[in-house]
Amino acid sequence: MTNDIVSHVREGLVEAGSTFRPDKKSAYKKAIDSETDEKAKWVLKTILENAEAAEKNRSPLCDDTGIPHLLLEVGPDCAVTGRMLEDIKEGVRQGLRKLPGRPMAIMGDDSSRIDQSGGLNPDSAGVEPAPVLIRQCGENVIRLHILMFGGGPAIRGSTYRIFHRHDTAVVLDEIVKRACEAVAQLGCSPCTLAIGVGRSHFEAASLMLQAQADGRYDIQSDMEKEITSRVNAAGIGPLGLGGSTSVLATFMKVGPQRASGVRIVCIRPACCFEPRIATVELGRLDTE
Amino acid sequence: MKTIQITTPVSEETVKKLNVGDTVEISGYILCGRDAVLPKVLEMIENGTADRLGVDLRGQVIFHTAVSPAGVGPTSSNKLEIESSIAPLSRAGIRLHLGKGELKKETVAALDRYNSVYAVIPPVTALLGSRTSEEKVIAFPELGMEALHLIKVDKYPAIIGAAHGRSIYDK
Repeated sequence: MTNDIVSHVREGLVEAGSTFRPDKKSAYKKAIDSETDEKAKWVLKTILENAEAAEKNRSPLCDDTGIPHLLLEVGPDCAVTGRMLEDIKEGVRQGLRKLPGRPMAIMGDDSSRIDQSGGLNPDSAGVEPAPVLIRQCGENVIRLHILMFGGGPAIRGSTYRIFHRHDTAVVLDEIVKRACEAVAQLGCSPCTLAIGVGRSHFEAASLMLQAQADGRYDIQSDMEKEITSRVNAAGIGPLGLGGSTSVLATFMKVGPQRASGVRIVCIRPACCFEPRIATVELGRLDTE
Repeated sequence: MKTIQITTPVSEETVKKLNVGDTVEISGYILCGRDAVLPKVLEMIENGTADRLGVDLRGQVIFHTAVSPAGVGPTSSNKLEIESSIAPLSRAGIRLHLGKGELKKETVAALDRYNSVYAVIPPVTALLGSRTSEEKVIAFPELGMEALHLIKVDKYPAIIGAAHGRSIYDK
């Protein structure tokens, strides 16, 4: 195992907050070429220009730099220790100071944190990450996906039950309906729809997170293509100004399901910059 | 698309010529404020103490944003405290409100009544950072990043979202 977890996580967080992955850049270029609405084309070009400036300067894509969400992948013979988790948290703190993250942590007791009367922590590193999600992987590595979640998609996202009536089309219809409402309200579009389908609210939300880590703009399933195409047909457009590019892609993950008439679906209308993601390898075991 | 250059302070004549869908680039000194500070500025206007701000509100632009080490970027202008500030600030001389999101019909009508416009700015923080050269707090420093700020900008890109009683979001 390598011993520089803190620096890997720090640099990974800065990358997540400042960089579009190559498949996302290509998705934007494709959308600019195919969009016929002049206003929409202008918005798409401006967002891509912003991404180029952010990557060049390693500066935030958006002033809402987001809440760190972490997905840790652990190979068969690898071990995660409490010290390693603390190193990851320290890397997050250093990354937030370096990016810099927006200082937006609220201080105080439970009540003061709810009503925001406890005041703002002036330190960017005061923004604590969400609980770490851990999953297994086939390679003998420990790999960390760092995702930065902005506030707008959290306001417009939802986790709810759908009665499927033994027909996948019923679930897709409801997803499209809810997604159209969410995308129209979001403002900061074009979106990437992140969707998890699970057996509980927790499971659906964790699948939504994994969908963002695994999703690719250039590899889309039939269901993902259908959702994207139907939401785009609503003509909401970038920033809600009209046009055919409301959604760049859909990242959907369907987990195990139970014998029941209900499916729990989590939808996050990830904004024009999301998924803000970077992946870092924290250690690798030589199995030779 | 032709881009119209706007320099602050914005004249009455410039505003009259702007139409929904025009793309503009804004340069000069502009104010920044959002939910927390705008109601306080309104209070000062009502109390007749706005001159203590040290900035002439006539012809000004107000950008609905916080100013933090992470940069600037529009918050939703249809948040209660922000949208309700648009009419009285226009009456006080603000000529251009810069933010994002759809406004109510009555707000669009009020903008027209006071010869003011609303422009939508994409949330392009990195790009805006490269076009911002000065920033200072001019009132309510206790609000931190949500204090009233004055910043100097060069060619901020925006699109006119409401003007002359019309909205870009009208179906």
